[in-house]
Amino acid sequence: MPTQDERDRIALLQGTLDLLILRTLLFGAQHGQGIARSIQLQSHDELMVDHGSLYPALQRLEKQGWISAEWGTSSNNRKARFYKLTKAGRKQLAHETGQWQRLATAIGRVLGPQESEG
Amino acid sequence: MFNWRRRREPDFTQEIEAHLALEVDRLRGEGMSAEEAQATARREFGNVLRAQEQFRESGRWMWLDHLLRDMKFALRVLLRNPGFTTVAVLSLALGIGVNALVFSVANAVVLRPLPVSRPEQLAFLEPPHHPSISFPDYRELRDRNQVFSGLVGYRIVAVEMESQSGPSRSWGYLATGNYFDVLGVRPYLGRFFHPADDSRPGASPYAVLSYGSWKSRFGGDREIVGKTIRINRQPYTVIGVAGPEFHGTEVFYWPEIWVPMMMQAQIEPGNSWLERRETGNTWTIGRLKDGVTRSRATANLNTIAADLSRRFPSTDDGLRFKLATPGLVGDMLGALTRAFSFGMLVLAGLVLLAACTNLASLVTARGKDRQREIAIRLSIGATRGRVLRQVLTEALVLALMGGTAGYGLAFVLSGVLSAWRAPLDFPVQFDVNPDWRVFLFATAISVMAGVLFGLAPARAASRTDANAILKGDQPRWGRGKLAARDVLLVVQVALCFVLVSACLLSVHGLQRAFATNLGFQPQGVSIAGFELGLAGYTEEKGRDFRNHAVENIAALPGVESVSDSNSVPLSIDQSSCSIYPEDQPNLRTSESQSAIMYQVSPQFFHTMRIELLAGREFTWHDDAKSSRVAVVNRAFAKRVLRAESALGRRFRCGHGGELTEVVGEAEDGKYESLADSNQPAFFVPILQVYNSTTILEVRSSLPDNEITARIRESLTGLDPQLPLYSTGGLVQLLGFAFFPMKAAAIALSFFGVLAAMLAITGIYGLVSYSVASRTREIGIRIAMGANQSQVMKLVATRVAALLAAGSVLGLFLALAAGSVLRSVIYGASPHDPRVLLSVLLTIVVLGLVSSWGPALRALRIDPAVALRRE
Repeated sequence: MPTQDERDRIALLQGTLDLLILRTLLFGAQHGQGIARSIQLQSHDELMVDHGSLYPALQRLEKQGWISAEWGTSSNNRKARFYKLTKAGRKQLAHETGQWQRLATAIGRVLGPQESEG
Repeated sequence: MFNWRRRREPDFTQEIEAHLALEVDRLRGEGMSAEEAQATARREFGNVLRAQEQFRESGRWMWLDHLLRDMKFALRVLLRNPGFTTVAVLSLALGIGVNALVFSVANAVVLRPLPVSRPEQLAFLEPPHHPSISFPDYRELRDRNQVFSGLVGYRIVAVEMESQSGPSRSWGYLATGNYFDVLGVRPYLGRFFHPADDSRPGASPYAVLSYGSWKSRFGGDREIVGKTIRINRQPYTVIGVAGPEFHGTEVFYWPEIWVPMMMQAQIEPGNSWLERRETGNTWTIGRLKDGVTRSRATANLNTIAADLSRRFPSTDDGLRFKLATPGLVGDMLGALTRAFSFGMLVLAGLVLLAACTNLASLVTARGKDRQREIAIRLSIGATRGRVLRQVLTEALVLALMGGTAGYGLAFVLSGVLSAWRAPLDFPVQFDVNPDWRVFLFATAISVMAGVLFGLAPARAASRTDANAILKGDQPRWGRGKLAARDVLLVVQVALCFVLVSACLLSVHGLQRAFATNLGFQPQGVSIAGFELGLAGYTEEKGRDFRNHAVENIAALPGVESVSDSNSVPLSIDQSSCSIYPEDQPNLRTSESQSAIMYQVSPQFFHTMRIELLAGREFTWHDDAKSSRVAVVNRAFAKRVLRAESALGRRFRCGHGGELTEVVGEAEDGKYESLADSNQPAFFVPILQVYNSTTILEVRSSLPDNEITARIRESLTGLDPQLPLYSTGGLVQLLGFAFFPMKAAAIALSFFGVLAAMLAITGIYGLVSYSVASRTREIGIRIAMGANQSQVMKLVATRVAALLAAGSVLGLFLALAAGSVLRSVIYGASPHDPRVLLSVLLTIVVLGLVSSWGPALRALRIDPAVALRRE
């Protein structure tokens, strides 16, 4: 029934959503729907953001003090809650990005030879 | 209900709605119809409710919401099981109540500071061996020290006080003029006396009444200030009344009156000691100056003490001070009281521990039955953490209910205890009413108890395998591995063992104390006390009165013999003096030994049945005109005179005392307390050394109350105004000596009975549960032809093994706890095999009694019913 692309998107690993949200906000304040959309577009539709878990994640980040929020108006004149990266959030983003890259490299190393063999 | 949270829920819902609207805008921009876009946006978002729920769970106050819900649920569960709840709350109430009660006694006696201003600055000056110093020494300390802002001297005294109901014996304090100022207390009525009121001997006939005596003796007369009352038949002006909370500086003693120290000669006629260095009658309490440490104060005092002992070697040799907390006469009573309180607290703690183990196994057993419920909750999505919390909350709710009941119990009982007056000629009274410390303590132990007995079921609950339970697998118990409840039962039996042995030891000790050789026979002796000095008798008139009294009473029918003395052994009033044997002329004061002294009339040894080992009794010829003589006890001969036979030896009582020759030797006895061992004592004729304090001893074949009435009649005939005290059978009046033991025996027996009750319910619960969970198995065995003894064996083996294990553990604990028990019980020997054997027997009986019912149930299992049941 659903007409939108049937090809399998990658469901987000737990914990990576936070990182992606912080990264997205690096380019400026954005509301929830915009963040989801932006992640999807930037990953060339590879990553699918579960809207249902997006807002609890935002809530969590806000509580940690990494993002702040206030109500504003969207480009098409709708009321929306806009999120903005805080100073602590920037630090956290740098830290997590480093972590993630190390992890990705390490996993790449482990998977690498297998690929070349096959 | 979440108003206090930073971000409100509607705000969150609004955000989601905004999101959906934005999505719809986007999808419509891609060409979808309005409805299609709505549906897709919703679908993509997923479960809105779930997102909201997650939001809510992240709230800061969530735990409170959970707690309230858990508590509501716990209350529902507990109300649904009234039987279980009642048993649990009752046993907790007993356990916690006992602890709160013992703690409130300890609090009153040891922990609570005196109700004076800044009590932490006060220090009791304690010289070695004896808590008091001479008044001249007090004066020097007061004037020369640099560390106290004030130093008070005082003494407990008995007086004859006249009130609306005529003259009667009362107890009070002689206190220096600075007493109330240094302590910093305020009068309830009128004023207190000050240093200016206490400057010259005999010039300050003022009295301050205690609140209690103002109420009971003077009917709470608001006009009392300025009125004259008669003390020792002399007029005194009442200048004030103390507040209801102030009972002087000893926690156990409630005085009726305070009189300035300079009235000493009038208050204690015939014995004026204010200028005597030989008489150490003054207790001292100092208030440390701000910033002065106790060690600096001690050093300063000891510099003065060293000077005193250099200047007055005959009286102050070896004088030193240490500082003690006021309230318990320094270490004389303090050390013992602290040890006793600690021992009692430990035992009470054990009772609570036993109650907790009992409950833990009870709750665990219920936990097994509730496994289905927990499994269902787990399978519909409750986290293990939530289930755990629920189980713990239930335990805590139970504990708090028990705690509340226990606190109530303690409150009532301590009220009774506070109002109770020991049947002694001495106002021993404690204010053990619980204060905030007791409340805090009760709350803390309730919570601890809840956590303690909640842990086991919580562990079981968190391990629940939802799949297996819901499929209908029976939890197995009864064979193989040691289950948690087995361990609990072993612990409980061990605790029960310890408590029952403590209880038996104390009862045993008490029996021994009563049977022990006192060195005299109180049975069949009645006594009556009176104070001739207070009643205004001179020595000459006093002697006449005594002789008349003895003559008249000896003539009464049924009287075997009569004597009089200044005191009797084991009563509260004991005097002693330092002994200087004639053959050790250079003995220093610090090396001299002190011995207890009695001034007795002829016939005393006969009346009291004190056995003379050698020499002779006193006669009517041993009077003031003949040479001084004494009868000494065995310990005096051996330890003080260092002689095989004391006869003919001579000694002095006090450095400058008269040379006294030993004419008789008596058996040893108990004089100050039942714990005395080989205490030196000696007797001198009252005809040679007069004392206005008189105790008449009358041995007769009549019942105590009858002979007491006759004695009273006969004395009233001689002087109708003379107040009598300590009248009655000597056995009853020795209550003072037996009082601590009796109190310990009663408390310990109470503990023992509690522990036994808890053990019975514990074992009963275990065996019932064992039988219930093995009904099928037993049914099958019976069907297969097992006979009664085989079924019995099935049920009993494990219980017997657990009981044995518990008893062994308890035995070790009891042996290890020996020192604690010894501090509580006179003559307790925790290694006494007879006691241990009877404890073992008790445990066996408890085991039999409590497993009887369930075992019978096992025998009556009908295989047909058991196998069909499912």
